[in-house]
Parts: sequence; C-alpha cells; structure tokens
Amino acid sequence: MGRTRNFYLQLGFTLLVCAFLILPVLMSIVAGFTENFFIGVKSGLTLRWIVVVWDLYAPTIFRSMYIALATLAVTLVLGVPTAYVLAKRPGLVTRLIEEFLVLPVAIPGLAIALALILTYGGFRDFRTSWMFILVGHVLYTLPFMVRSVLAVLSSFDFRILEESAASLGAGFCRRFLGIVVPNARSGIVAGSLTVVTLSIGEFNLTWMLHTPETMTLPVGLADSYASMRLEIGSAYTLVFFVMIIPLLIALQRYGTQRIKKLGRA
Amino acid sequence: MRRRENRTLFLMVVPAISVGAAFFLLPLARLAVVGATGPLGPQAYLAVVTTPQYLEALLSTVVLSVAVTATTLVIAGIAGVFLERNRFLGREALLSMLTLPLAFPGVVIGFMVIMLAGRTGLIGELTALLGVGRLVFAYSMAGLFAGYLYFSIPRVILTIMAAAEKLDPALEEAAKSLGAGPWRVVRDVILPALAPALIASGAICFATSMGAFGTAFTLATDIKVLPIVIYTEFTLLANIAMAAALSIVLGVITWATLAASRAVAGATAAAAG
Amino acid sequence: MRMKSVIAGIAASFAFAGPAAAADAICYNCPPEWADWGTMLKAIKADLGLDVPHDNKNSGQTLSTLIADKANPVADIAYFGVTFGIKAREAGVLAPYQPKYFNEIPAGLKAADGSWFTIHYGTIGFFINVDALRGVPVPKAWKDLLRPEYRGLVGYLDPTSAAVGYAGATAINLALGGTLDNWRPGIDYYKALKKNRPIVPLQTAYARVLSGEIPIMFDYDFNTLRAKYKDKCNCVFVIPQEGTIALPYVMGLVKNGPHPENAKKVLDYLMSDKGQAIWANAYLRPIRAAAMTPEIAAKFPPAEEYKRAQVIDYAKMEAGQNAFRDLYQKEVR
Repeated sequence: MGRTRNFYLQLGFTLLVCAFLILPVLMSIVAGFTENFFIGVKSGLTLRWIVVVWDLYAPTIFRSMYIALATLAVTLVLGVPTAYVLAKRPGLVTRLIEEFLVLPVAIPGLAIALALILTYGGFRDFRTSWMFILVGHVLYTLPFMVRSVLAVLSSFDFRILEESAASLGAGFCRRFLGIVVPNARSGIVAGSLTVVTLSIGEFNLTWMLHTPETMTLPVGLADSYASMRLEIGSAYTLVFFVMIIPLLIALQRYGTQRIKKLGRA
Repeated sequence: MRRRENRTLFLMVVPAISVGAAFFLLPLARLAVVGATGPLGPQAYLAVVTTPQYLEALLSTVVLSVAVTATTLVIAGIAGVFLERNRFLGREALLSMLTLPLAFPGVVIGFMVIMLAGRTGLIGELTALLGVGRLVFAYSMAGLFAGYLYFSIPRVILTIMAAAEKLDPALEEAAKSLGAGPWRVVRDVILPALAPALIASGAICFATSMGAFGTAFTLATDIKVLPIVIYTEFTLLANIAMAAALSIVLGVITWATLAASRAVAGATAAAAG
Repeated sequence: MRMKSVIAGIAASFAFAGPAAAADAICYNCPPEWADWGTMLKAIKADLGLDVPHDNKNSGQTLSTLIADKANPVADIAYFGVTFGIKAREAGVLAPYQPKYFNEIPAGLKAADGSWFTIHYGTIGFFINVDALRGVPVPKAWKDLLRPEYRGLVGYLDPTSAAVGYAGATAINLALGGTLDNWRPGIDYYKALKKNRPIVPLQTAYARVLSGEIPIMFDYDFNTLRAKYKDKCNCVFVIPQEGTIALPYVMGLVKNGPHPENAKKVLDYLMSDKGQAIWANAYLRPIRAAAMTPEIAAKFPPAEEYKRAQVIDYAKMEAGQNAFRDLYQKEVR
C-alpha cells in the first residue's frame, strides 16, 4: 500500500487522538514520581509518594484484585451457560432475556447502587461485607461476558458439532464441556479480560456501596485525588496502571486475534 | 428428547435469571416505589419535566451524550478504519494507547482533563508560550465534553476495528472502478457496511455518557448533568425519593434509546462487545 | 526500611487471600488528611488497641448515608461540620452521649443531651498559594477578590453541596453586612465574583491549591497551616478585613451502631488531653483550649487578626441553609 497524502493525514489525526488520550497519563505518571508537582521535575524524583500510597491504601489494592477475581468466577458460572442457551434457542423469550441483560448497562450505576442499598441495606452483615460490592460488580459485568461469548457462538454453527458428538453417543454434559466451551474459548477469554478490567476500574456503583471496610482501589483513588496532594493521587494512579495495563494489552491482543479468526470465516 | 433438552437449557439460565431478579429487578422496583412515596408522591416523576432545574439537567445530559456519541463515532471511525487497514511501525503501541483509558474511573478522567486544560494545564502552557494567552477550558462545557470523549473513544474504537476487518475490499474496488470519488466511496460503501457496528457501539457510548458521574463530579461545571443532580439530592438533603425518581427516569430514557438502537441494527449482538 | 516493607508487601500480595479482618469501630468522615485524622486513628490504635479505618465522606454524604442506613446502622461514630450535626440530631440518627470533659464545652457548641459536641474548630479565610499567584498581590479583604487582577485565581467549594462551602457563604454574608436572615449581601457578592470566573469544586480541593490550579481558595486555617508546615508550600492564611466566622466540627454517637462500647471509648479519647493535643498539633483549635501550646499558637496568624472571626448562632445558621440554597441556585448558579 503506497503512502499517500491521505495516509499521512489519517496518521496525523490518529496521532493527535492518541496524544489527547496519553499525554495526561504520562504527566500523571511523572507527577507520581516528582517531589513537588508545582515546582515540577526540577524538584527531584522520588519514590516516597508510592510508599505513602502503600501505607494508606494497600488493603484497597488487594481488595480490588480479590473482588475482580470473584466477579470473574461468578460471571463465568452465570454467563457462559446463559450465552449458550441464548445462542441455541434464538427466539422471543431469548430476545427478552437479552434486553433484560442489557439493563444494568443502561441504568446509571448511581441508581443501581441506590436501589441495592434501599432493598438490602437492612441486612447489616451483608451490607458491610465485600459481597455487597461483588453483587454490584457482577450485575454490571455480566452483560459483557454474555455478549462476548454469544458473539463467538453466533459466528459459527456449533449445533452441527454438537449433533455429530451426540450421534457418537456423547451426553449433554460431555458435549457442553467438551465441544461448546473449547470452541467458545476465545469469547470466554475476551469476556474474562473485559470483566476483570471493568471490575478493577468500577467506580459509580462501588462508591455508593462501599463502607470504610470495603473500600476498593478506584474509590480510594478518587479520595486521594480530592483530599491529598496531586503527587499522591498520581502515585496511586501509577499503581492502578501497573495492575491494569497488562490486562488491557492482553485484551486488545486477544480481541484482535479472535476478530482476525472470525473475520476470515 | 427435545423437551428434556429444553428443561436442561432452562436450568442453565435459572442461576443468571435468579440473580438478576433478586439483585436487579427487585431493587429497581423498590426504587421506583420509593420514588413515588416522597413528599411529592407520584408527582415526583412529573417533577422531572416540570421543575426547571431538573428539566435543564436532563436536557443538558441528553444533548451532551448525543454530541459526545456523534463526535466519538466520527473520531473512532476515522482512526479505527485507518488502524485496521494499515500496518506500520508502532501500530500496536498506538492501539494499546488508544484503549488504555477504558478502565479509568471518571474521577481520574476529570483530573486528566484538568492536567490538559486546567489553569496549570498543558494546553494553557502551550498557548501562553505561543503568546495568545492561557487557554483554560477544563471547567466549562468544553472540558466536560473532552472528558466524556476521553472515556468514549476507547470503548468504540475496538468495535469499529472489528467491523472494519469484515469490510469487503471488492465492493470498494467496484465503486472506484465505476468512477466514485473517495468521499462517495465512504458514504455509499463503507458507512452502510459499518452501520450496525456504529449503531451498536454508539448506543453503548450514549448509555455510558448518560450515566457518567465521576467526571462531572470532579470538573463541577456550572451546567449540572442529571447524575450530579441525583447525587446532590441524595447527599445534600437525603431527598431519597427525588433521587430515586430521577434515577428511574434517567434509566428509562437510556434503556429506551438502547432498545431502539437494537431494533434498528438488527437482532445479532455486535461482534466485539 | 519503609521501601523493604513495600517490596515485601508486593511479593506477599499474591499469597494474600480474602478481605481484611473486621474493624473495632466504624467512623464516617474520618479522612486521613483532613484534621489529621490519620495521626489520630493511629494513636487510637496504639493507646486504645482499637482499629478504626479511615473514611472519606464529607459532612453531607455522612448524613445521608446515616439516614439511608437508619434501619441497620453501619457506623458507630460520625464527624460533621456543626450544621450537619444539628441536622443529624433532627433526623434521629444520633444517640445522646456525654463524653469526658463534656462540661468544659460551652453551651452553644454542643447539644444539651450530648447528641453532638464540638471537638475542635477552625476559622474560614483565604487559603493562598503565594507562588501560584505569580506576582499578583496577596488579597486582604473579601472585596479585593472582585478586582480584575484576581480573575481566574479564585475558587470556593459549592455552598449548596459542602459544609465548608456553606460556612464560607455565611462568613461572607455576615462580613458584608448581612444577617442570618438576610442573605442579600452574600448573594450579591457571589454574583459579582462570577465575573472573575471562579472555580467551584464539589469536594475538597486541597490538592488543587497545592498544585497551583486554584491559587486562592475559601478554606480553613488548619488546612492552610497543614499545607504550609507539613507539605511545605509557600502558603499563607489570610483573615479577611471585613470579618469571618469560626466553624466548629462535631462528633456524634450513631444510634444503634454495631460497637457502642468501643465508640464511647473513642469519643472519650478525642476529648482527652492526648486527643486534644493531636488536634492542636494539626492546627485545629481544640475545644479544650488548654491543649494548645504556645509553640503551636505561634504558627497561627496573630490573635489580633482572629478577633475578626465571630462565633455565631449555629442553630440559626443551620435553619437558614435551605433558604440560602434556593436563593443561590436561583440567582448565582
């Protein structure tokens, strides 16, 4: 493909968009290492802000990871079978279920959290446990898992594979675990990465649902930006990046790989 | 045979449906009831359109979301198709950079906007250096718009790229050989082919913008979007009924838009989610 | 040695499973940096053996969360600006409790039954980052900020949404000739200030003053002094010429909280000699004035200036909040 003027224009445009998205992130990373943001890099580089963040917020980091993994486990158990059923029996009822599944994305997180507090806030043990947050995260991420697996299942005819397996005598369980799941694997992996990423970064719901004992990373992050120096907020963001970037790269790599596989079908 | 299979399939969805019913539908129903049992009674739902400050907030939110969605589709459309079709040094890196903000909480995005366009922001420094005075727009509608773009572009661009992958180059070749200029090729061949993906990802973009809270909270512009009004109703006067009513209205409008877009785009879900 | 523990922590992180152990008492609105609750919570851990996690709500969020939790409270104690303490008592979420030294608190600064009581107070004024002013002279009066040279340099917390915002509004109104019934001078001031394009955050903006984003903010003396002495910024606290108010911050025992005995111990500690000394160290005026040492007093602006800060009828201030809010939203917003 020749490098036409069009190519350079579009490249320039794309680079501009990237700059818009990335420059503040870079500035934030530098701020996290700077002694004094107001003075700038001249004031020296230091790790002390990261130490302060660790001191104050280490539990939130672990908690976010733990909740993300728990969310993943629950969405896998709930979501993969659901996607399978939706793919196998497309029809009115399944359309309704799909609409129903989209709702948590449509209703603002603030509202869902308010609703949960009003309904289940009375059960103190539940209200103050990390599982209250887990419920919110599952509600929000389940649609993404289902859609991801459903997209893959819709793109090839798995019924033929199932029928051949059935004709060879495989029972339902064996067919599901041995044929459907492995073939849907790319959708499951992409969905998993999305779920974990969204859970680690979830703010709207968690902010309302959390108690001082169940603070997660994004909530702590918001607090630190508000009430502490910018360097601390930035250092905390740095820790967040370190957690999230490997996931995002994997998501983007895996996502485009799968798309390539499907695209050529 | 089929009946037994139907039963198994039914059992497979029961967990998800129970969780959804118990933790989503039931609380939402409760929320709707609470919304109607405040000092204004069921009239609270009408108050959304009759009280000027609520109506203004609702309209601002809708206008902002529509504007953000339209702009994001254009930007992600151009960048997405370009990245999908060209291979060059640094492409992978660019792609990672474009999807990075996907996981950022709104508050962080608000601070990113302040870093770019605040009083001590990068853009202000640049324009000051260029001698045209310090350009500060973080705290105006423009800043809020920029913040919303910030979290929308990454979401949409992956979907666009997935759809662009499936574009049939033969159709474009045919159009070109019939004498169509590049703009006509875009308008008559590329856009219609991308349409389902554009509509699906645009709907998600719209829904996210309608419900976004953290960014507006941090930037705190004069113009209040509805999620901020809901927050204020809840935290300022513990006016839970009004907060509930406003939340339901916001949710219904967003969901209706999503439903309409699904009807227009067809039954199958978008490829990359 | 700190670094080693950080690295060890990261290494051990993946062996970690499950959420942390339960706390001994829950506080709503005990942010680590505000009023140096961080040090206080650590002292409580050391001296009482009680683990109280920090919490970053503001006064308004605290009240509404307490109300939402009413059927089954999560918190044991709550910290508010005085107007929200009064509201909380009216909403029925606080239980009466008279801690040690309750009788040393003046009558206007506590609920008679002990539902809420002042532990320390601060004074409203200008929190200024002098370096960020880039040569513009330091303002001395509320009216100074209406002048064109301060365009783009001022910020204040939203008076309809944050306790310190409303405190600022009250201070301005009273300083410029208004009363707790007549908000006209205050409203006119905000309208005039609008021409100077102020930034109006919804939440604490301490970080933004330090980073130079908001060079002049209406805030408390204790935040400014923290910035000056702890975070080493070239910051100065100015008590405006026309006058200002002092605002007490209060604690309350939450009704039907999960750990009432622990809560009472904590509340007593906050009023004890040691507790009050920690507040003094954080540049707050402890309610038991004896806890303030001459060394710390020297770091504040001179007593002369503080004569311009009034103590007012806080119950009346609370009663007027709704009227002010409506007026502000109608005319200034």
